[in-house]
Amino acid sequence: MRWRSRARLAARGVLGAAFALALIAAGCGGGGEAAGGTAKIGGSMILATTTSTQDSGLLDVLVPLFETQTGVQVKVIAVGSGAALEMARKGDADAVLSHSPAAEQELVERGDLVEGRLVMHNDFVLVGPTGDPARVRGAGSIEEAMRRIAASGGFVSRGDNSGTHATELALWKAAGIDPAGVPRREETGQGMGATLNIADQRRAYTLTDRATYLALRDRLSLAVVFEGAAPLLNIYHVYVVNPEKHRGVNAAQARAWAEFLVAPETQRVIGKFGKDRFGEPLFVPDAGKSVEDLGR
Amino acid sequence: MEVCFWEVEARKQGRMVLEVPELALGRRATTAVLGPNGAGKTTLLRLAAGLERPARGEVLLDGEPAERAGPRRAAFAFQRAVFLRGTVRENLDLALRLRGADAAERRRRIARAAELCGVGQLLERDALQLSGGEAQRVNLARALALEADLVLLDEPLSGLDGPSRESLLADLPEMLAASRATVVLVTHDRDEALLLAQELVLLLGGRVEAQGPAGQVFRRPPTLAAAAFLGYTVVGRRAIRPGALALGGGTPVIRFTVERVVDLGTQLAAEGRAEGRVVRAAVPPGAAPPAPGDEAAASAPPDAVLTYGDDGRLAE
Amino acid sequence: MGEFWAGLAEAVRLIVSGDREVREIALRTVYVSGAATALAMLAGVPAGYALARSRFPGRMLVLGAVNTGMGMPPVVVGLVVWLLLVRSGPLGGLELIYTKEAMVIAQFLIATPLVIGFTTAAVQALPPELPELLQMLGAGRLRRLWLLAREARLGLLAAVMAGFGGVVSEVGASMAVGGNLQGQTRVLTTAIVTETSRGNTERALALGIILLAMAFAVNLVLTRVQQRAR
Repeated sequence: MRWRSRARLAARGVLGAAFALALIAAGCGGGGEAAGGTAKIGGSMILATTTSTQDSGLLDVLVPLFETQTGVQVKVIAVGSGAALEMARKGDADAVLSHSPAAEQELVERGDLVEGRLVMHNDFVLVGPTGDPARVRGAGSIEEAMRRIAASGGFVSRGDNSGTHATELALWKAAGIDPAGVPRREETGQGMGATLNIADQRRAYTLTDRATYLALRDRLSLAVVFEGAAPLLNIYHVYVVNPEKHRGVNAAQARAWAEFLVAPETQRVIGKFGKDRFGEPLFVPDAGKSVEDLGR
Repeated sequence: MEVCFWEVEARKQGRMVLEVPELALGRRATTAVLGPNGAGKTTLLRLAAGLERPARGEVLLDGEPAERAGPRRAAFAFQRAVFLRGTVRENLDLALRLRGADAAERRRRIARAAELCGVGQLLERDALQLSGGEAQRVNLARALALEADLVLLDEPLSGLDGPSRESLLADLPEMLAASRATVVLVTHDRDEALLLAQELVLLLGGRVEAQGPAGQVFRRPPTLAAAAFLGYTVVGRRAIRPGALALGGGTPVIRFTVERVVDLGTQLAAEGRAEGRVVRAAVPPGAAPPAPGDEAAASAPPDAVLTYGDDGRLAE
Repeated sequence: MGEFWAGLAEAVRLIVSGDREVREIALRTVYVSGAATALAMLAGVPAGYALARSRFPGRMLVLGAVNTGMGMPPVVVGLVVWLLLVRSGPLGGLELIYTKEAMVIAQFLIATPLVIGFTTAAVQALPPELPELLQMLGAGRLRRLWLLAREARLGLLAAVMAGFGGVVSEVGASMAVGGNLQGQTRVLTTAIVTETSRGNTERALALGIILLAMAFAVNLVLTRVQQRAR
């Protein structure tokens, strides 16, 4: 039967391709060399973090510093904080830098995240269209501000399980409002930059971290309408994914990263970040403090 | 080159399509394999070429298995003329290059085959743009250019219109004679077989019904079924050679009711049925043609009437 | 509208100034998609030929699977490959996740059904007697394959263009398995996503224009080869 020889030919083609693939796979290697010197440990690590952290540009400064100091190659995977924590839960990442303390605490209790350290905070602000149609400015409290938006404004939510989204939901809850019941509220499922663009287009309000807003301020016609309340604090922790619970975690590299973030020199860099571009720093370094100390 | 079939059985999807216990196709002659569609003719040709292997038995070319020897020593012209992109010359050139001929040899053979087949003026034409007749001639030229010991032609005149067919029918014998190879051609047309070949193999239902010199097989078909396929008028156990029946004459051989009178151009013929079969008898020149509904009696020269036994085989 | 012009101007500026980061991203795009397409041809052309010419039980199912694969959303392929390669997945030990090689694998899986589909169509368009004709002329198996490929070259070049076009323009799989790491796995499509999500619309547009120009250039070359073959 002739189809047998044809099938053989096809099988040979597939095997040839598979062989080539195997060669490629074998050719890929790990990260840098384990050079001499106490600080340099080499290797690589996967850092799961959030898109807003990535978009602020802070990591573009910190990661190269860390890589030069330790020789560790860092793979920064920026996703929504829901996805970042899910990566930690499955052991697909080595370290986590995120700003969703309630959700992070769950994973700490389950043993997926260990050695958590407070790193820094920034804050969220409510921004809205010029003219402030819902009269949010001048509200006495954050709850009052949310009520005014629900009554007569549009709201654009990230709707992506991120830290920002979690904070937004907490604010609605504190104001006694069901977000699903807010008539002109939309969910984008996207990052902060895209969400701000959409809010700008819709002439609606949104909750944003100050850093992203400042970075995009010139392109948007949105202005800060409420800031400063305690619930608006955005608190960043760094964790190591538990190497006892998950196989394959690059624990040494993850610990080095965590220690790097809270080191005094790094904290100084964090404290100055953004000043020259925006006139004000984007983050407040908090290593060594306790959460209760924070707030204005 | 001699082609031998031994105990050959060929099947398609479990069904037996060819059964040939013993067949030898001979040296330096042209054999026509004749039969109706589905009789197994093309299968027989493909087995000789080595394109297919029989389910049982063997096919040998000068003693070597056809599967190995065919592509090397035989030239096959498919029923449909198929070419690669390029000119006619490029197609012929490729065929010869695959056979290992050097440049000078290729030029010589292409020129010779082109002249033989009358396609010299087509050499620089796009092979995919040829007309039916032109394509078949080039197809044959390609097969002949290979100068193989065995030339296999699958229905070489199929799909041609009247003038192309007549012209090729006239030229083909010369083309084949010049090649001095053993030629086996497949056809379903009796006249083609008689005009083109010296030997005849008649295939019916996958079996060799008759074999021998073409004229002889035609004049004395060994079985009633063979006679019927060759165009004989079969009535009961007798078969009358085509064209031999005429109205009137001596002892009537057959009686029938006239259904219509046909003008065949060269003569008139009375057409009717006897025992369910169509009968046509010539109207003698000068005689008045019968009318539909008339009873007619036709006769034929004694040597044109053959009698067969109960087993269907020729009685005398 | 003004943004389009700004984007176009930015594109020209990036190309002319030879911006290093853009050059690196563009070269990586060509490498990843080019390698994936080449491997897809290696695997897909013989498979497409066999599928076109053979009759075997289940052939209809395989043809159906290939046709489905041709329309498969790349992001789904990316998700599946990601689940396989991620550390907690069955192939996690290979440490392929978030590498260029992982992207080549994902794009290979996206391109191969396209190549098989186009090759099958190209081979089926050939006269069915052609392989036997070549065999009877004395061509060995390899020679036959080469001659048949030459005869089918119009269709085969279409297969290359379809495969390459399909993967150079996809973003979901590249993002998922590559991670869009700057300097390592960022390609033009994922870079566009990043710039858009950061609100840098001008730069995103510029990258998009560069991607279009690159795809156009590649297809132009292939089309010229294809049409010259007529």
